[in-house]
Amino acid sequence: MKILTQLCGIWAAGCVAGFALTPRAGAAVTDEEFNALKKAVQQLGEKVQKLEQVHDQDQQTHQQDQQEIQRLKEQLGETQKTATNAQQKAEAAALVQPVRPMPGEGNATHNFTMVGDAEIQFGKTDGQHSGFALADFAPIFLYRARDDVLFEAGFDIKLQNNAPNSSGATTTFDMSFAQLDYLLNNYVTFVGGDMLLPLGTYTERSAGWLNKIPDDPLPRGVLPSSGVGAQLRGAVPVGESGQTLTYSVFGVNGPSSVDGSGNAFTADGSPNLDLGGNVGFDSNGNSIGNLHGSPSGGGRIGWFYPLKAHYDLELGISGQSGTWDNDGNELWTAGVVDAALHVSPYFELKGEYIYTWQQTTDMGTVHPRGWWVQGGYKLAGLNADLPLINNLEVVLRYDTAHDGLGTKVDRWTVGYVYYFSNTLLFEGDYEFVNSNDPTQNNNRFVFQVGYGF
Amino acid sequence: MKRLSSLKRRLRAGVWLAMVAGAIYAGSLVLAAAADPKAEKETKPEGATQGEKKTAKKAAKKKLTGAELYAINCARCHPERYATEFTAAQWKTVMLEMRVRANLPADQSKAILKYLQEDSGTP
Repeated sequence: MKILTQLCGIWAAGCVAGFALTPRAGAAVTDEEFNALKKAVQQLGEKVQKLEQVHDQDQQTHQQDQQEIQRLKEQLGETQKTATNAQQKAEAAALVQPVRPMPGEGNATHNFTMVGDAEIQFGKTDGQHSGFALADFAPIFLYRARDDVLFEAGFDIKLQNNAPNSSGATTTFDMSFAQLDYLLNNYVTFVGGDMLLPLGTYTERSAGWLNKIPDDPLPRGVLPSSGVGAQLRGAVPVGESGQTLTYSVFGVNGPSSVDGSGNAFTADGSPNLDLGGNVGFDSNGNSIGNLHGSPSGGGRIGWFYPLKAHYDLELGISGQSGTWDNDGNELWTAGVVDAALHVSPYFELKGEYIYTWQQTTDMGTVHPRGWWVQGGYKLAGLNADLPLINNLEVVLRYDTAHDGLGTKVDRWTVGYVYYFSNTLLFEGDYEFVNSNDPTQNNNRFVFQVGYGF
Repeated sequence: MKRLSSLKRRLRAGVWLAMVAGAIYAGSLVLAAAADPKAEKETKPEGATQGEKKTAKKAAKKKLTGAELYAINCARCHPERYATEFTAAQWKTVMLEMRVRANLPADQSKAILKYLQEDSGTP
């Protein structure tokens, strides 16, 4: 009934409106008015179309936003799930693992870096043909686990001609060192593993491409270059001028005997002392311990005194002592005095005096020993303003070694280093050798291209 | 008897090494405590005289910068390496190795690292 009343009302209103509007619709309209009205209607139509387009775009954007929000919600859910899992795992680990984590920062700050050097040698020894004699790649892998923990391992991959009168060449892959460094505090660092030994400074700081002459000084042959064990080392600054006192104390397995006895020579007449041999276990599995059981201890104390940059003096005294035969009865001891002097950025002088005491069962105590001194001068110090000269350094070395068993070798070496850059070096030298052993009494020249990275 | 003597020698060497290591570590703890700047601040009387302040200022002024320490320490073993040759993260690793290898004091090593990282131009 109510709807019927409403419909009747609408019909009546329509009749009234029709009656009222009819006379207006019937009024005359000019062409101009009609065109203006038409134009206005067209414009309105265009506007409506534009608005519809904008609306469509807005809707699309809205849909994309919704999708993005949904994706982020899902990600958040996953992250929360991972965090919950990690927390649960940590709680579980804490329950089963009473060992506390290492002190210090919790964030992962690890980094892997490779440094090292590579060399190519060309040489000629008296009585032999000249040729490319050596290709060497010596990377050092550094893994910084934290700000105070570093693993470092140095390798030496070398291709070298075999001995005279034998065929072919040999590729060797050696591990020079592999050690863990842990900074205990500002003054003590713990080092463990197969370590470069601080007997003098040559092995730690001058070997490889850092040496200005392609080969090692002769007396370094009477010392071990590395040892398996542990070490504490550090430095104490003295004043504010850069002056420093340094120390290293180590315990390693030490040298061993080739045939196990304390004799000076093996049955085939070669020296019995094996400087780098004792690393603990035998590869045959029969021996379950150190070859002689007794640790070999040693250390170095150094003093570094800089007057200013490039003007400094460093002095050091170091040594090592321990038994070397399998019974642990014969003692091997070494003492080293080292020094390095820099006067200006151009002149450097350094050297080492090395003396060892080797107790033997059959020959008493023998004394392998020697010393070397090396000077270098960069011709840039002449201020000649010639690029070729400015990149050149001349080097002179004298080294001598006595094996304590009758063989003595003296050697003078003159050479140069040409710096193509700070890391690419071209070295050359001529060695005048004098020995009472005719097999070693051969002069030679060597050229080497070395790259440090 | 010979074996006993050998054992004694081994034991003696081991004990000696352990004692030296212990003494070094104890000494380092004393040094670390003595060099702690917080401790120094606490023990310093509040009313320091003008002269004392000047001396402290002079000492602070004399302290070598990272660049100076770099020039003093690095070039004595190897040709100069430029800061841009490694990233800041790599320098951190390299300097950690150098601190151990060349026995650099901690503060000097940190100052050199800061200098190299700032000039490396990379994170």
